[in-house]
Amino acid sequence: MSLRHLLRAEWTKLRSVNRWVLALAAAAVFTVAFSILASSGGSTDRQPNVAVGPGGKPVADDFHFVHRTLTGDGSIVVRVADQQNSHPQAMAGVMIKNGVTRGSSYVSIAVTPGGSVRMMADFRDVEKRAGTAPRWLRLTRTGAHIATYDSVDGSSWREIGEVDLAALPATAEIGMYVSSPGEIRLERSAGTTSVGERLTTGRATFAEVRVQGSAGSSWTSDDLIQPGLERKGRPGPSGTTEAAGTFILTGTGDIGLNEPPDDTVQIGLFGTLAGLLVLVPLAVVFVTSEYRRGMIRTTFAAAPARTPVLVAKAVVMGGVTFVIGLAAALVSFFVTQPILRAHGFGPPMFPAPSLAEPRVLRAVIGAAVFLTLLSLLGVGAGAVTRRGAPAIAAVITLTLVPMFVGSVVPAAAARTLMLVTPAGGFAMQRAKPATDWLVEPWAMIGPWAGLAVLGTYAAVALLAGGWLMRRRDV
Amino acid sequence: MNVVRAEWIKARTLPSTPWLLMGLLALTVGIGALAAGTLHAGECADPANCGEDFAKVSLSGLWLSQALAAVLGVLALGNEYGTRMITVTVAAVPGRMRILAGKAGVVLALVLLPAVPGVLVVSALARPIYAHNGFALPGAITGASLRAAGGTVLYLGLVALLALGVTALVRDTAGSLSVVLVLLYATPALALVVSHPTWHDRLQEFSPLTAGMAIQATTNLDALPIGPWRGLGVLAAWTAAALIAGAVSFVIRDA
Repeated sequence: MSLRHLLRAEWTKLRSVNRWVLALAAAAVFTVAFSILASSGGSTDRQPNVAVGPGGKPVADDFHFVHRTLTGDGSIVVRVADQQNSHPQAMAGVMIKNGVTRGSSYVSIAVTPGGSVRMMADFRDVEKRAGTAPRWLRLTRTGAHIATYDSVDGSSWREIGEVDLAALPATAEIGMYVSSPGEIRLERSAGTTSVGERLTTGRATFAEVRVQGSAGSSWTSDDLIQPGLERKGRPGPSGTTEAAGTFILTGTGDIGLNEPPDDTVQIGLFGTLAGLLVLVPLAVVFVTSEYRRGMIRTTFAAAPARTPVLVAKAVVMGGVTFVIGLAAALVSFFVTQPILRAHGFGPPMFPAPSLAEPRVLRAVIGAAVFLTLLSLLGVGAGAVTRRGAPAIAAVITLTLVPMFVGSVVPAAAARTLMLVTPAGGFAMQRAKPATDWLVEPWAMIGPWAGLAVLGTYAAVALLAGGWLMRRRDV
Repeated sequence: MNVVRAEWIKARTLPSTPWLLMGLLALTVGIGALAAGTLHAGECADPANCGEDFAKVSLSGLWLSQALAAVLGVLALGNEYGTRMITVTVAAVPGRMRILAGKAGVVLALVLLPAVPGVLVVSALARPIYAHNGFALPGAITGASLRAAGGTVLYLGLVALLALGVTALVRDTAGSLSVVLVLLYATPALALVVSHPTWHDRLQEFSPLTAGMAIQATTNLDALPIGPWRGLGVLAAWTAAALIAGAVSFVIRDA
């Protein structure tokens, strides 16, 4: 028989068994229902203290700022004489900002103890070069055009970067700032996981401060801080002391995009877990039932080459799973997003995801691919064992158990587990980058790593199944 | 007695049985030893008071071994439906409750056969591993660690019986096994993403797996969503419900 006929034969076998068709429908329904259940149980406390940046994105905007008003064109030059190493990404530098409201437009240049000169505009990096304090920094404004420079001696300058910032009004605040991010600690031990942040306070000395242009006469000192941060207890106070034109600033916090690791797209696709509990047994039984009923002898008599039979079974089962999985994933996505919003996963911290975003589309298709690869793994495992029970038990436990175990073991062990078991495939459903910040262990590896792990499992199982099918008697 | 003997011969001669028993033993010992090896005293802030639940960690093979216990329970009856042997069995022993009781006894014995030595071996093996990794364990065997070890064996038996009950209801190997695996693993998976405290706790209190595995806890019992014995009681209730429903279906339906 040609492959086309084999495909038709396998498709007929699949659609003509009532309970299998019922199982396929159940898989779709379970996927959507479980996604809704997972979304309804969610809650988040990451919301209240967030600032909103110019693009509507959640940002961190916490630092100590000593500033004067600058109208029109002008510049600031300082020498960062000394910077304490409070955190590798702590910043000491100069900034021009639209007022002192958190989240407003700005351009900045700063040195870090980590050894870089960093220029930022509106919460994104513009340029990064090597360099540490002591160092001269300069920022000039010409209309909407802002350029930054650094120098080791104050006479020969190197341009770091330039940017046009139309959002900056004619009158803005210009001055010096110090920031120092918190140290994140994720403690995973057998039994518990806790996430904690230890705040740090940065400290830097600024000398030979010169502002050119029509600037206000006096310096104002402001602490931009997340409301409620005071309660957590900072290691040292923020503030400014000035003596003979030399400023010492201390400040706490970080500046930059502040996207939470929680992935609403992934939570809304979590129901694939229920779908796989139906699809994997179905895929296994699609192969093993032929052995049980002796039907396999007829099948092999009709197709003596045998390998095309397994190919046809894999194509039919995989294709059907992909279509059902994609439909279920799309429905889950659209149904769960409003539910998640109602449970606190809303803007600005969680902007509404749209299928037009490549990463969201990738996650939704990833859910369908995840189910497809698992069902191919089921077909392969069924061909290897020729009996339903061991194949089902093996695939399902290897997929689910590492999820639970990975959420309670140390991080390194959890990552390894995700990279060596089919459970890593769950990572395909994440729209956000890999993170160590969540309890869910599959969030620790990226979607492509997840695809590689599960794809390898499916491929090896199919190859082994095909090889054994040729080699063994029925 | 003849019923038990007949069931024993049937179960013992299934080609899968020796593999399942060896697998159960290997998973209990192997996974437990591996898990024990991941703990290092150096990673604790205070090695003398680490807060690790040593007994529970060394018994963590249960996460996987329970799947094999479930397969054992399913195959004991599901295979007879697959091969239609069941018609011979019910013809030979018209008292169907006796068949089911015989199967339950045999399944329980088969599970205990690898479970008891497995738990003993891994408990003995874990102590030198912990010592090697720098922990100073108290010398005496405590009541709590006995409860964890004995409870693990009971848990495996209860899961196998749960699987038997479900199979009497579903009467198909693949279908029954899927139902049992869903019962065991779906709720704890949901608990991973459900962060609402009330629902999170409720899921863990009523799920046969998370409630039942509370029996392994030896430290920090107050933080558990459910106490050890009450937790195992929840699993026992699921098992009893499955066995009763299975028995009723087995007795009143045509084979």
